[in-house]
Amino acid sequence: MEKIKGVGLGLRHKHFQEFIENKPEVPWLEVHTENFFSQHSTSSKYLAKIRQDYPISAHCVGLSVGSAAIACPVREQHLQQIKKTIDWLQPSMVSDHLSWSASDGVHYLPDLLPIPYTEEAFEVVTKNINHVQDVLQRQILIENPSSYLRFNDSTILEWDFLSVLSKTTGCGLLLDVNNIYVSAFNHGFDALTYLESLPVEAVKEIHLAGYSIDIIEGKEVYIDTHGQKVYDGVWQLYEKAIERFGAVPTLIEWDTDVPELSVLLAEKKKAEVIIAKVLSEQVA
Amino acid sequence: MSKSTQPTHPKKVTTLAELQRNFISDCLSGKLRQNNILLAKEIDSSFISAQGLMGIYQNSAIANITNSLILTYPVIEKLVGSAFFSAMCREFIYVTWPKTGNMDDYGVEFPNFIAEFEHAKHLIYLKDVARLEWAFHKSSLANDAIIIDWSALAKVRDILKLTFILTPSLSLVHSTFPVDKIWHLNQENASSDFDLKLTDEQVDDHFILLFRKQLKTVVLPITVGEFAFLEAFDNQETFEQAIEIASAKQVGFSVDDSLKKFIELGVIIGFSESISS
Repeated sequence: MEKIKGVGLGLRHKHFQEFIENKPEVPWLEVHTENFFSQHSTSSKYLAKIRQDYPISAHCVGLSVGSAAIACPVREQHLQQIKKTIDWLQPSMVSDHLSWSASDGVHYLPDLLPIPYTEEAFEVVTKNINHVQDVLQRQILIENPSSYLRFNDSTILEWDFLSVLSKTTGCGLLLDVNNIYVSAFNHGFDALTYLESLPVEAVKEIHLAGYSIDIIEGKEVYIDTHGQKVYDGVWQLYEKAIERFGAVPTLIEWDTDVPELSVLLAEKKKAEVIIAKVLSEQVA
Repeated sequence: MSKSTQPTHPKKVTTLAELQRNFISDCLSGKLRQNNILLAKEIDSSFISAQGLMGIYQNSAIANITNSLILTYPVIEKLVGSAFFSAMCREFIYVTWPKTGNMDDYGVEFPNFIAEFEHAKHLIYLKDVARLEWAFHKSSLANDAIIIDWSALAKVRDILKLTFILTPSLSLVHSTFPVDKIWHLNQENASSDFDLKLTDEQVDDHFILLFRKQLKTVVLPITVGEFAFLEAFDNQETFEQAIEIASAKQVGFSVDDSLKKFIELGVIIGFSESISS
């Protein structure tokens, strides 16, 4: 497995051909694991070609590590499909979110749903991550979520939940700077406190993306849509993240209304400039 | 772990499992109303109401599923327009939520839903275009074909008793509308070679073969005889029975030409000795 470095891009169907034909200079790519469950599919055949030239990271959206259901066939089946895909793809990193999608054997919601930060939830997530890491036989990274609501039962701060989780399970953290920015706005906490509370050694990857702004009941809510350029405030927070965590592999994510590759490459360049600036300041 | 500085409201303890069941029930309940949100007491609604907050998640989940349907049914989206497609998806999703996280399997019921969807009923060809798109989707996901060494065919004593094996990516679509032409016309870089006129009362039948060749899924019009021929093999009929069926459907059906054509295309990939006599 190749070690991933620098600023990578989320690989989307629209750019498959361009990566095969033009081989743009990108140090690594990240794919949504669930899009390659069939290793015979046309998409998987494209990925197999692209894989020859680029290290790959596998980002999952359906492991549902926050799911309380103990015996959940939906989740278990999903994990087995992930394992099959990971075994085929041999990615450098595997990640998913601090969220849930499957409530029991019957109900499933294809979204990254929030958990209350309680002792019970911590036990559930710990058990689930341990199980995933046992099955996959490797460390996974857990991404901090973007959220729009808070549960009254929550008694633990999100950043503390993640910090202790990484120590307890040995999982790494995928720091989504945009998610911190979005949640900090929606819930009124200090994004820098969040950054400064996470253990430096646990953060193995950073995500950057754009959000949209909705007006709900006359109030602004930031929604994590991955359909825009990275906002200035997120770039500023990213600079702080690089200062704290170093030149962690960073990904530009863009999932909806995916633009031409040149737009993503320009975003990549911005991240590279920030990394270079922070590193040069640290040397000086 | 340090404790949250956010205020908590002492109340009955809801287990995580119960909370998650209620969360999903709220999101699946269609139109959210303030007085019927199961999670209303569990979430902090001091800034935005429970209805507003749960609506964000409901909309987000519906958007995710709609995006998945757009990938499977891009021509339908193009034909009816993005806003209409999204509205139609929303209604579809309320009655057909995904059951797993593998979205490759989701959306098979969409063609039948379209046929019954009140606002699309006048677009009578739409269901068949959707059937073609689902067939295309399944074809692109199918296992690779392993083609046999055809020289083995020479050693077979009674070729009429064979059953021929079809590529796993094969789909056959029959419609009374020229859905293959509609599909081709709505592809990127479509040529305008087709003279397409649709009327409510179509009299011609259209027979379409889909299969994957390397990285491309091919959408090919075929004759009624060829369609019956391949359908017979798909139903495990022997070569002899397939010839009978195809010849009954199409006067002058050429067995030799068809067999050669579909072997060369990689649609027929092998044969097996028939179990029945």
